[in-house]
Amino acid sequence: MGTFLSAAAAIVVGLAIAAILLVVLVFRSMWRIAEPNEALIISGRAHRPRGEGHGLGFKIATGGGTLVMPGISAVRRLSLDLRETDLEIDCVTHQGIALRVRGVVIYKVGDDLVSIANAARRFLDQQNQMDQRVHNLFAGHLRAIIGNMTVEEMIRDREKLTQLTREHAGTEMEKLGLIVDSLQIQEILDPTGYIKNLALPHQSAVEREARIARAQADREATEKEQEAEAQKALARRDSQIRQAGYQAEVDQAAAASRQAGPLSDATARQKVVVEETRIAELEAERTEKQLLVEVRKPADARAYEQVTLARASREAHIHEAEARAREIEVSAQADAARVKLAANAQAERVKLEGEAEAHAAQARGLADGEAIRARGTAEADTIKARAEALAGHQEAIIGQQLAENWPQIVEAAAKPFGSIDRLIVLNGVEGISEALTQALGQGVAGLQAARRVLGDPGVAQAAPAASANGSAVKEGEPV
Amino acid sequence: MVRHMVEQEMIGRVGRVTGKVTPGHIGEVMIAVRGGSEAFHAYGSEPGQTIVNGTRVVVVEYFPPRTVVVSPV
Repeated sequence: MGTFLSAAAAIVVGLAIAAILLVVLVFRSMWRIAEPNEALIISGRAHRPRGEGHGLGFKIATGGGTLVMPGISAVRRLSLDLRETDLEIDCVTHQGIALRVRGVVIYKVGDDLVSIANAARRFLDQQNQMDQRVHNLFAGHLRAIIGNMTVEEMIRDREKLTQLTREHAGTEMEKLGLIVDSLQIQEILDPTGYIKNLALPHQSAVEREARIARAQADREATEKEQEAEAQKALARRDSQIRQAGYQAEVDQAAAASRQAGPLSDATARQKVVVEETRIAELEAERTEKQLLVEVRKPADARAYEQVTLARASREAHIHEAEARAREIEVSAQADAARVKLAANAQAERVKLEGEAEAHAAQARGLADGEAIRARGTAEADTIKARAEALAGHQEAIIGQQLAENWPQIVEAAAKPFGSIDRLIVLNGVEGISEALTQALGQGVAGLQAARRVLGDPGVAQAAPAASANGSAVKEGEPV
Repeated sequence: MVRHMVEQEMIGRVGRVTGKVTPGHIGEVMIAVRGGSEAFHAYGSEPGQTIVNGTRVVVVEYFPPRTVVVSPV
């Protein structure tokens, strides 16, 4: 009985425990917890909240647990986590500069019920596509935002970027129940080099400053280095000069010590030479004196003797000459007087003779003139007669003239032989006769030429005069 | 509902301007709400009003989900 009771009690307890477990399990299956980063969207049961949630048609649970009746209500979770979408677009700035912009937009589902409801209605089944949607939406917005900005503003003016983001994208995102936490431009790719050029002036200035500073520093360093070098060189020079000085002293001392022996030798030798020189001088002196006594004195005496004699002789000659001159003078004067007288007498005589002769000549000249005139007349007649005769007997006259002059012609032909001292004829007697014949032949040839010349009428006129002085023969000579 | 009350309590909250409120542009204010702080789009309550960053403002009107009209404190 007791065991039965205890058994019954055990069953009851077991059933109770089972019932409790069942209740817990059922409750667990019905109780849904919304994590801080999510919202539960509960639909199915008639749900009519007042006020803001009026007409919603479903229940939104955030930040707590709620009981859901399985089979009656459906529960879905909408993540309220932060989401991000990368954007990369080609766009154009306010100034028309083409850029490629990489950015990121960070957004989330709004925490208020309206935003959650908007988002739930749009994305509940497409939460994993939300990024893609937002990407498509924001590409356009970003392009518009950048179109309203300049490159400089994009780089520097964050305020304007957020402002424009809010204006362009904020309200539109509100429709989707999303809020834009942040839009960041991560990278601006600048194919035209605009940003680089923006940087250039400042960069160049900084570079210039850097180069100037470097150059200045370099210059100063070089100056100092060179100064140091110069000082080093100076020190080195001084050192070397001093070393050289010391070396010179050392060398000098060494040389002096080396020369000491030879020097003392030389000094000794010098003394010897001095003594020897003195001896030679004394000897020379002695010789000189000796010569003076032996040669010069006698020579002087002789010279004096000769000079004296010569002087006496000269005196004698002078006196003699003077006497002779005097004598000549006197005799010349006498001669002159005599000649003068003779000349006078002669002159007188000549004068008288001249006068007499003049008279005689005058008389003779008159007589001669008469005679010459008479002979001229006669000769003219003769020439006239001969000219007439010549016209007829020229040949005979020439022959006569030649006959008159024959001896002279032959003599002229023989002249070459006459100038020959000794004639050697190689072919004997015949040779002599041949030579003579040749010479005479030359004479005959001269005769022919003379004849030819005389045959000329112009020459024939002068022929008598020419024959008179033998010029005709001379003309034949060169033939 | 508690949450509904929170939405109503937006008006009168004090926040801080984080994006300059100028006419024709949307500003931004940070307001402590729901135990954290959230950024809301903001307009000035008076026309032609400019509210610079860091100014303390009070919410005078709320347009769900994320827009408020503010006035400098």
